[in-house]
Amino acid sequence: MMKNEPVSELNRRSFLKGGSISTLMSLIGAVELKPEPAAQGIAGVKIQAGPKVNCAVIGLGTRGREIAQTLSVLPDANVSAVCDPYPSSLRRGAKAAPTAASIKDYKQILADKAIKAVVIATPSHEHRQIVIEALDAGKHVYCEAPLAHTIEDARAIALAARKAHRQVFQAGLQTRSESQRHFLLSFIRAGAIGRPVMVKTQWHKKQSWRFASPNTEREKALNWRLSQETSPGLIGEIGIHQVDATSWYLNSNPVAVTGFGAVNFWNDGRDVPDTVQAVFEYPNNVNLIADCTLANSFDSMMDVLYGTDSAVMIREEKAWMFKEVDAPLLGWEVYAAKQAFYRETGIALVANATKLSAQGTAEKEAPAYTNTTLSTALESFLINSRLTGTAVEDFLTNYGEDEEGLKEYLADMEKNRQPAAGYQEGYEATVSVLKANEAILGKKRIVLDKELYQLG
Amino acid sequence: MKSKNTWIQKSLLALIALMIAVPALRAEEWVRYQARPGSKIKIEGTSTIHDWAVEGGIISGAMELESNFPLDPAVKAPDSAKLNARVQVSIPVRSLKSGKTLMDDVMRGAMNEEKFKLIQYKLDSISMKPHKAGEALEYEADGVITVSGVSKPNKMSVKIEKISGTSLKVIGETPLKMSDFGIEPPAPSIGLGLIKTSDDVKVTFEWVTAQRK
Repeated sequence: MMKNEPVSELNRRSFLKGGSISTLMSLIGAVELKPEPAAQGIAGVKIQAGPKVNCAVIGLGTRGREIAQTLSVLPDANVSAVCDPYPSSLRRGAKAAPTAASIKDYKQILADKAIKAVVIATPSHEHRQIVIEALDAGKHVYCEAPLAHTIEDARAIALAARKAHRQVFQAGLQTRSESQRHFLLSFIRAGAIGRPVMVKTQWHKKQSWRFASPNTEREKALNWRLSQETSPGLIGEIGIHQVDATSWYLNSNPVAVTGFGAVNFWNDGRDVPDTVQAVFEYPNNVNLIADCTLANSFDSMMDVLYGTDSAVMIREEKAWMFKEVDAPLLGWEVYAAKQAFYRETGIALVANATKLSAQGTAEKEAPAYTNTTLSTALESFLINSRLTGTAVEDFLTNYGEDEEGLKEYLADMEKNRQPAAGYQEGYEATVSVLKANEAILGKKRIVLDKELYQLG
Repeated sequence: MKSKNTWIQKSLLALIALMIAVPALRAEEWVRYQARPGSKIKIEGTSTIHDWAVEGGIISGAMELESNFPLDPAVKAPDSAKLNARVQVSIPVRSLKSGKTLMDDVMRGAMNEEKFKLIQYKLDSISMKPHKAGEALEYEADGVITVSGVSKPNKMSVKIEKISGTSLKVIGETPLKMSDFGIEPPAPSIGLGLIKTSDDVKVTFEWVTAQRK
């Protein structure tokens, strides 16, 4: 590996190496794309890992509890506290992180100097105050995506994060930390799919998004995603990850968005559509077509990037490339595993890939809550929090207060950070999807000026 | 008797005054340069699979130079002149980074960072290397480097550049052997086989200092 490359990063030379014996083989079927596995500990050497990071989870809904569970099994985390004002959520959160203290008031967590990092998983419309107070309290902050339910709140959060340069701010755009995505990024940037022509993404589930509650007030609070007043909609809550990944891969933000949406199935009084489609226009006439539904689960989740030479399909942490017959030989694919993929008939011959791969050998199960996109993103957050925390401490101990010098030192430290979405990426993705949600609700096209993405 | 006593008293007073005054005067002849941000240190090595490097941006400590210490390259410095300087430097081991978390963990483990948190350097003596007016000034520094709690004598050439009226940059390079400091070169066993790290490393640095205000 070359210096400063993430462990999983594509070694382009290894891709380009290779013979031509199996040229014809490479022209048919799918080629599974996977990064080199990260080393899992090393035999024969003493390793001194950095100290665990004392952290807390604020907001213990379904997502918050998943985060607490994940942190509990990460080697770099010491989950000191979990927090939710609602007693039953707090009880369930405490079960997710058994060693953590149960705290009702987040201000108590922010006042605890021993807690260095907080993950904020409250409803999106409650992020702003907590994030800003957490940054003011000197905490490293992981804020779930989208950053907020309004552009104004998202901007306030991003500006506070920019100002808090002594701390880590990570937006919960977890694919930015995923080794598979970084591997693919290098692959696509190396021109392996030719010129991108369009992108498709889908998220299909049959679920109500509604939570039951014994009283009306709590019911309303729990179901914040079902009211336009508080919800960024399906495209904001779910689609943001795909939109962000597309913007990242295309190295550009959408310049316009057109949306459609309706309550097609869950007619339970909600005013947030359960089925949406949006077309995001990117520069060079490349469009992203995104659809999300809560009314049908067929074909689940998938992203496909179409290029002039090949298409890449991404499902969870797996990906495949489908080459065009006239695409040039890259070389490396001669050695890659190949599987026919007759998606239209529902017969999957890709072993160990997704639920579509009904046939084939079952993949060895990883322990629960490990090796997921979320665990990778949280691991990045913890490592980066420790890196920044010790860097600030070392700088101040050795040089004293010197804000400009510290900024330069931390900027130089960037190359050592684990890949993760920062406030700018978080803000841009949030703007894209909030505008898309606006387009969906109004069934209209909205032009997204460059200025919209700038923090000022 | 009285006059003799007065003379003794005067002499004693003068001697005491001199004893107080001389160190005070001497102290004025030294200029103290304190470590400032902007420093760089790099440790480079090789292994059976690839070259590696760790880098850091913190070099702490201070340097005191006698006021006549030759720093102006335009003026010819006396050859091999012994110079008066005091230098003490330390580098936090954990501030050295490779860009890879796992390799950093291996490095800290090999250097027993938990117990020995600093790499230290102390200057014993410094002399002028042959110099022509207008050329960069070079010095021969003899000192002691302490790594992982083991101290070893070290001899290296350094340059000192003025980067402003009151700031100096000390630039140097020295080879070291890990085993001299009781560090076993890491030999991790990963995947296809054993990776052997070479015992020899090269240390390069640029140490930024500024006069203490």
